[in-house]
Amino acid sequence: MLNLENISKVYRTDTIETLALNTINMKIEKGEFLSIMGPSGCGKSTLLNIMGLIDEPSEGRVVVANQTVADYNSKATARFRNEHLGFIFQSFHLINDLSVLDNVELPLLYRKVSSKERRRLAEEALEQVGLHNRMRHFPSQLSGGQKQRVAIARAIVGRPEIILADEPTGNLDSVMGNEIMDILLRLNEQEGTTIVMVTHDERMAQRTHRLVRLFDGSQVQ
Amino acid sequence: MIKHILTLVWNKKRNNVLMLLEIFVAFLILFAVFTFTIYYLRIYQSPLGFETEDTLLVNLAMDQEMDSLALLEMRQQLRREIESYPEVEAMSFLSGITPFSGSMWSWGNDDNGFYMQTAIFPTDEYYQKTADIELAEGRWFEEEDYTGTYPPVIINQKLKDTYYPDKPVLDSLFTLDGENKIVGVAKHFKYQDEFSEEIPLTFLLRPLHHNDLNSIQIRLLPNTPAEFEAKLNEGLARITKRRDFVILSLDARRERTSRLTWIPLIAGLSICGFLILNIALGLFGVLYYSINKRRAEIGLRRALGATKGEITSQFTLEVFLVAFAGMLLAAVLAVQFPLLNIVEIPANNFYWSILATMLLISLVVLGCAVTPSRQAAGIHPAQALHEE
Repeated sequence: MLNLENISKVYRTDTIETLALNTINMKIEKGEFLSIMGPSGCGKSTLLNIMGLIDEPSEGRVVVANQTVADYNSKATARFRNEHLGFIFQSFHLINDLSVLDNVELPLLYRKVSSKERRRLAEEALEQVGLHNRMRHFPSQLSGGQKQRVAIARAIVGRPEIILADEPTGNLDSVMGNEIMDILLRLNEQEGTTIVMVTHDERMAQRTHRLVRLFDGSQVQ
Repeated sequence: MIKHILTLVWNKKRNNVLMLLEIFVAFLILFAVFTFTIYYLRIYQSPLGFETEDTLLVNLAMDQEMDSLALLEMRQQLRREIESYPEVEAMSFLSGITPFSGSMWSWGNDDNGFYMQTAIFPTDEYYQKTADIELAEGRWFEEEDYTGTYPPVIINQKLKDTYYPDKPVLDSLFTLDGENKIVGVAKHFKYQDEFSEEIPLTFLLRPLHHNDLNSIQIRLLPNTPAEFEAKLNEGLARITKRRDFVILSLDARRERTSRLTWIPLIAGLSICGFLILNIALGLFGVLYYSINKRRAEIGLRRALGATKGEITSQFTLEVFLVAFAGMLLAAVLAVQFPLLNIVEIPANNFYWSILATMLLISLVVLGCAVTPSRQAAGIHPAQALHEE
């Protein structure tokens, strides 16, 4: 489903060269729920960004859904992200000037989907995360947990094969964090969606199928 | 996508209202200046109907106590003298109403069965040659006209089109101060100034003894040196025994009169230039600020699959839609001018001005929006999302 082959990432400034990822090899199967753990600055988010094609490795190759995306141009990469990947972020990244429904519709805007169909799919996604009654609200009117559920609805609205979640429970209390985790597990079990989750929370990581640990840019487990 | 951007613009209305107001006010100012500019330029482009090059005008100061015989004699002497100069091609006597003098004589009555108003331009039978006036039909005054049954008049095409559309006018009688016979129609005679609309006008034939023929228009051969004025001056002084007359170039007078309109017109256009610059700088500022504030949103959209082109289009369209709303509101107001006939300017001018203003503002807005929007599209998604 998702193969990382000899992935390295180096950040360079005029004076410093930082090795963020060091020869990572990883194979994620279809329907797998994988968590990535490690201390701050170990390269978890960088790895997730490379998996999500929003960052490029300095070396190595990414194969997603049997497609080598390294040679894709910017437009093709954007299309690939839109059709195959869903993103969930720690700080939700909702657009405050758009209603919940409009936020969820966002990924579909970049596809050829009619406005009626967009609405239907967004409502369906909100139904799945239990926020159907909040779709006219704006993000500022929601709690942290509700915001993250909106973000999940946005991630699943386009029916992606892979969801990449960057500390989805990081900004939430344990009750809300568990709620979000339950939704992700349900998605994985019922829809068969492959999920890669970066987390700091050992308890959350234990609920996933497989745990990968990073330390100083290298895979240690 | 348009619906999405409209929603976004509407939800951000508080942020957009200042820009909308700026465009609204700028539109109205540009519209006003453009309306007058187009109006005056159209008049300026319309034909003058007579020659001003190599032409001198003499304003004589006649002795008020001179009787008609003495006046006739002096004018005959003046004619002989001026025509004797080899540099002179033609000359005519005129009243105080001369081209670009600012003087005007208007006459109105309803003796013709309808109310008619016309400007009057008294002159003699040589004026067509002196001023090179082109006739649309009929003829210019002749010497025989002095002894005809009805005093002859020549009207301009504007008078004919205004009061006698689609009717033959030659040899018909026309009542001004008594009955006159129309012998000719001049194509144009825009004598007030180049920026004044041509008005209905009637040339009257004045005999040489008439006491109001105190001006002389002289057509010189091309390339006549300026020293000729000194010779003319001496000749005129010898005959009139006075030196308080004025000789001036008709071309220079034409330019001087036109300047009175050119200056405010150029000033208005300069203000418009500054205004456009102001809008452009404002838009740049607003957009750069907005893009910096919305880096995370841009990163998110890129992560969700927006291409660089889609980001550029979104930001450009957002700005354009706000500007368009401002233009639309202002255009609704502007269109009331021709609809309610508030200003005596042909309606067409207003519509062209609205179009020109919309085009100009749209071009400026698009021009200013594209660069910052492209910059927005270049934002690296991973970096922008991480900053948040």
